[in-house]
Amino acid sequence: MFQRESIGIEEAEKARDAILGALTNTDNPIALVIADDRGVPVLLYREDGAPARMLRRARAKAYTSANLGANTVDFRDNEIKAKNRTLNDWGDPMITSLQGGIAIRNNGNVVGGISMSGNTTIRDEALAQIGLDAMGLK
Amino acid sequence: MITELVIGHADARLVAQAILDAAGTKNKPIAVAVVDNRGDVVYFTRQDGTSAVDVRNAERKAYTAAFIGRDTALWRQQIAHDGRTVADWSDANTTTLHGGWTLRRQSQVIGGIGVAGTGDEDRDEQLALKGAEAAAQLSVDEWLTKRDPRIIRDR
Repeated sequence: MFQRESIGIEEAEKARDAILGALTNTDNPIALVIADDRGVPVLLYREDGAPARMLRRARAKAYTSANLGANTVDFRDNEIKAKNRTLNDWGDPMITSLQGGIAIRNNGNVVGGISMSGNTTIRDEALAQIGLDAMGLK
Repeated sequence: MITELVIGHADARLVAQAILDAAGTKNKPIAVAVVDNRGDVVYFTRQDGTSAVDVRNAERKAYTAAFIGRDTALWRQQIAHDGRTVADWSDANTTTLHGGWTLRRQSQVIGGIGVAGTGDEDRDEQLALKGAEAAAQLSVDEWLTKRDPRIIRDR
């Protein structure tokens, strides 16, 4: 037997509130996904005016981060581009290399994934990082 | 041009909170999804301990309620009466599991609510109805702010 750790709704709501507080007037309407250690959603959030495809992208980013234990931009640079692979090599339609998904870790273990869509992918990632920091994990 | 009414994220959050408040801690942990009139998620939340199946089914129930425009329990009766099955819709996201509730305003579908996880589909439905009631109250409150404030006299 062994135990797995995962974020719960408490951490997810902390991250949600931090991200919403960090949004400015120059940001587009956003979609936010916070997923558990398997990439299953804990909290989904789509602002008025954010197209449904934004949430779809964000789901894929959070799923990828949680399941691969990597930030999606690192996955893109280190596993796809650097090794001349394509997404098809993973055989999983939910895997994406779009920037903006961050693996959530606690004591070195992957305990979830957090992601944003709606702005530039760089801004998406910066906002996701604000949410991650607000969770107060080790 | 046409315009359509759609539930927004502020209302969706209030609906979800009303359901969680009604659920309390007596049930098994639940998942709650609120979707727009096309069935796309606006807000989703869950209590700690919810299974991945419940997460999926909460979304499927909400999707069905909005996309088909029928509460899922009613839809089960309807398609059984018509001699059909869910498979006739060729859409893996549709379900007749009770707990999907259609949200309407001015005769338009504006969204759907899905609740899953209690282990009793009728309890899921009761909780979804609590969310629909909260959404209806929002509309009543809005109407109260707009109505003519003069006292209606007896005639």
